[in-house]
Amino acid sequence: MTHTLHRRGDEISLSEDYVLLVMPARGYNLEGSSEKMKKVFEIISHYKTVNFGNARVGNSHRTTIDKLMTAENQRIAHAVFTDRENLLGCLKELKEKDLGISVVVSGLYDHVVQCCHSTGLKPHTVNNSLETLGAVEKLPKQEVLEIITMCGHAMVSPDLVEHLLGEVREGKRSLDNAAVELSRLCDCGVFNPYRAAKIMKKMLNSK
Amino acid sequence: MRIDPEKCVNCGTCQSYCTVRAIREDPQKEVREVIEDECVECGVCLRAGICPADAIFQPELTWPRTVRQEFSNPLIRHPSTDIGGRGTEEMKTNDVTNRFKPGFVGIGLEFGRPNVGTRFHDVQLMAQALASLGVQFEPQNPVTALMIDKNKGILKPEILSEKVLSAIIEFIVPLEKLEEVLKKVKELTPKLSTVVTIDMISRVGEDGSIPTIPIARKLGFTIRPNAKVNVGLGRPGM
Repeated sequence: MTHTLHRRGDEISLSEDYVLLVMPARGYNLEGSSEKMKKVFEIISHYKTVNFGNARVGNSHRTTIDKLMTAENQRIAHAVFTDRENLLGCLKELKEKDLGISVVVSGLYDHVVQCCHSTGLKPHTVNNSLETLGAVEKLPKQEVLEIITMCGHAMVSPDLVEHLLGEVREGKRSLDNAAVELSRLCDCGVFNPYRAAKIMKKMLNSK
Repeated sequence: MRIDPEKCVNCGTCQSYCTVRAIREDPQKEVREVIEDECVECGVCLRAGICPADAIFQPELTWPRTVRQEFSNPLIRHPSTDIGGRGTEEMKTNDVTNRFKPGFVGIGLEFGRPNVGTRFHDVQLMAQALASLGVQFEPQNPVTALMIDKNKGILKPEILSEKVLSAIIEFIVPLEKLEEVLKKVKELTPKLSTVVTIDMISRVGEDGSIPTIPIARKLGFTIRPNAKVNVGLGRPGM
């Protein structure tokens, strides 16, 4: 399950997109982790994020951080940051609290490594995204791909991106509203609506 | 998924929400309908709550169609892994589990993503080719759980035509075998009717280096600038 790995885009766009994932390991430290996962969401609440949550309780459009801070038996926590300062702060606090639960950051590799070094952490394991091969002619155009890959479970339809963009063009929706509509479909809370709105704005301006 | 023709008002809202273009208009009946063979049972159209007539409904699924939902709807837990989604904990908890050791590489081949979908006969084609190289498939992975012969990469025949949003083949090989495996993947992908996105997992060296990257680059693979990094805060038995 690599639902945060294959986000597309250039380095400028991706420099506003960092996903934090915290997860206990089944058979190792899952048992007794419920209180710690609540604590993780409490830590996340101290920083500026554009999305958070998990598939069981909901994303930031379907639930609140307060509910996530009190929900029992959560197996995963996500948070999406648009800047390194808040990510760094969150990582520092997670290190200080020493919960012993695995923490993963998806984002520009060099930036993530810098954040690790600033926090006194050492990258342990990396998952690199290689290219997409095969029937690539079936993929949507690049800008749409940049938006839909922000939900790695593919819950955001390419056709919906185009449809909502049409509504923005017709004045039926704002860009931010369209981005939130896409974001709410990503059950895990890893979609970045801030970045989606920026990409859609670029698409509108290029026509 | 189904749309009740008695309730449908043919507004077409659901069509753009479908992740795989499996909803079309029936011009005779003037309703929208789900193309059953194309629908991957991801559930997005229903969960989105956008039908003004409440016409979308989930009928009870039976085997083998149930695999569509298990591989496409992240809210459904796989019976084989007990986690939602299509894969495993992979490297996310590696600082605790040590599944991926120095000198070894984890490979994930993600069929059908993003938003193309895949049928299992394409997955089997690759699994058979990899099995011929002696690859041992990840036992906790949902695709492996559907194999009737893990040494040959053969899946249950009744699922081969089932379409899912994505399915992941996962395995670990020694670093010295990576080149052979990646060559085989590259050789086979033009024969597939879907897309395959590749994950490559390795331990980060003491000096911060990633041992797999020079090998992948030598074979002409592009390494994306973004990656997923386990920052080493986990500990077993906390």
